[in-house]
Amino acid sequence: MAATTESVKADAAEAPLLNKRNLIAGFMLYFVFYVWVRWYEGVYGWSAGLDSFAPEFETYWMNFLYIELVLEVVISAGLWGWIWKTRDRKVMSITPREELRRHFTHWTWLVMYGWAIYWGASYFTEQDGTWHQTIVRDTDFTPSHIIEFYLSYPIYIITGVSAFLYAKTRLPTYNEGLHLMYMVSVIGPFMILPNVGLNEWGHTFWFMEELFVAPLHYGFVFFGWAALAIMGVVNTEVMAITKLLKKDLA
Amino acid sequence: MSASQSAVRSRAEAVAVSRAFDWMILFTLFTAVLGGYHIHYMLTGGDWDFWSDWKDRRLWVTVAPIVSITFPAAVQAMLWYRYRLPIGATVCILALLLGEWINRYLNFWGWTYFPVNFCFPSNLMPGAIVLDVILMLGSSMTLTAVVGGLAWGLLFYPGNWPIIAPLHVPVEYNGMMFTLADLQGYHYVRTGTPEYIRMVEKGTLRTFGKDVAPVSAFFSGFVSVIIYFLWHFFGKWFNKTNFIQDDES
Repeated sequence: MAATTESVKADAAEAPLLNKRNLIAGFMLYFVFYVWVRWYEGVYGWSAGLDSFAPEFETYWMNFLYIELVLEVVISAGLWGWIWKTRDRKVMSITPREELRRHFTHWTWLVMYGWAIYWGASYFTEQDGTWHQTIVRDTDFTPSHIIEFYLSYPIYIITGVSAFLYAKTRLPTYNEGLHLMYMVSVIGPFMILPNVGLNEWGHTFWFMEELFVAPLHYGFVFFGWAALAIMGVVNTEVMAITKLLKKDLA
Repeated sequence: MSASQSAVRSRAEAVAVSRAFDWMILFTLFTAVLGGYHIHYMLTGGDWDFWSDWKDRRLWVTVAPIVSITFPAAVQAMLWYRYRLPIGATVCILALLLGEWINRYLNFWGWTYFPVNFCFPSNLMPGAIVLDVILMLGSSMTLTAVVGGLAWGLLFYPGNWPIIAPLHVPVEYNGMMFTLADLQGYHYVRTGTPEYIRMVEKGTLRTFGKDVAPVSAFFSGFVSVIIYFLWHFFGKWFNKTNFIQDDES
């Protein structure tokens, strides 16, 4: 009887398998932040973002760029460093329940990664197309680029690398080596950011916003394909989770 | 860890855990595919998809199906061959259309004020349903590529016809005859689209008159067959679960 009571107490005190609060908070963090960003674009894109030589452009857009770049470097260094520093050095000896809990935490990261990819690769990238069809750009750092290339892309890179590092440092599944498709799904979309260099280099020679399908943009396309590698990650996860649950679901 | 230990306390908990993972996996797969597919499509066929005056009888009909059959083929290679889910193409198109519609409303219209009846996305859903149904009934990659790929190209124009037809009505404007869609293009000035780019119907194919769209659709279907094969194998590659050993790197 006493042992049973102890067990129930232990269960009640135990952390939940899926921390729903973290999942919802993470989802809302990006959602609320990007709604605010879209509001900022709507107001200051038109009022201060049309002429890069104007003083208000410096105030509202270049300062936005400087602040976001500093924050991204600080946050990525801090977050990745923390995940690595607090890694589990005895990852192969955790209990199945703890492993399941960590898979849920890992999937919270992956949900955040997918959500961040949506905002970066879909929402802000196509938005850039209509901005270019509306104003004549006189700088590489046009308002839509300050948001798309230098904010939304770094955010999904930071999220993707964090998910990868979490899996690598805390889950026995990924202790075998480097998961090829996981690397493709993180490094491929990351390569879109360096490809901005090619894009901007090209646009300083040729004004061709009239064609979003211009070959200069194909680098983005090639690296965008890498998002499909999430299928390999899903397959590996399904196998790992099935192994943990199979006995109880049979 | 002990092999005899269980990760869950009951069958009910196991079921709940399994369902929770299903939703998280579906959300991640949906948004990741949405992002990858959307950036691919907007940069390979986007201009034809953005503007009604680009939705002509020749290049739109040719380009859009060819570049859009890619991700559906790859995702089918996962969802059908691994999980027997005949929804790969439909999921891709749902994701793409969701991303596009959100953008056209909130950004094309909401930020830069192009009316939605000038910048609505193409409809790819009929081809996606047919592609999934053929795979489900035939369970054959070759059949899906040949019959489904051809259908993908052939169904594109009829699938969009109810939407685009009112904009292809001829009008006379300043002594010139063109379509309502062209007229929209003249009135809603796009700084990045000079007039020579907007003359999308060029070349001798136009001399075929009413046959332009079917000829283009057949050509598009033919190329879609080839692209399906290619992307099916891309999809298989992306499905890999292997590891690179640390000492190999």
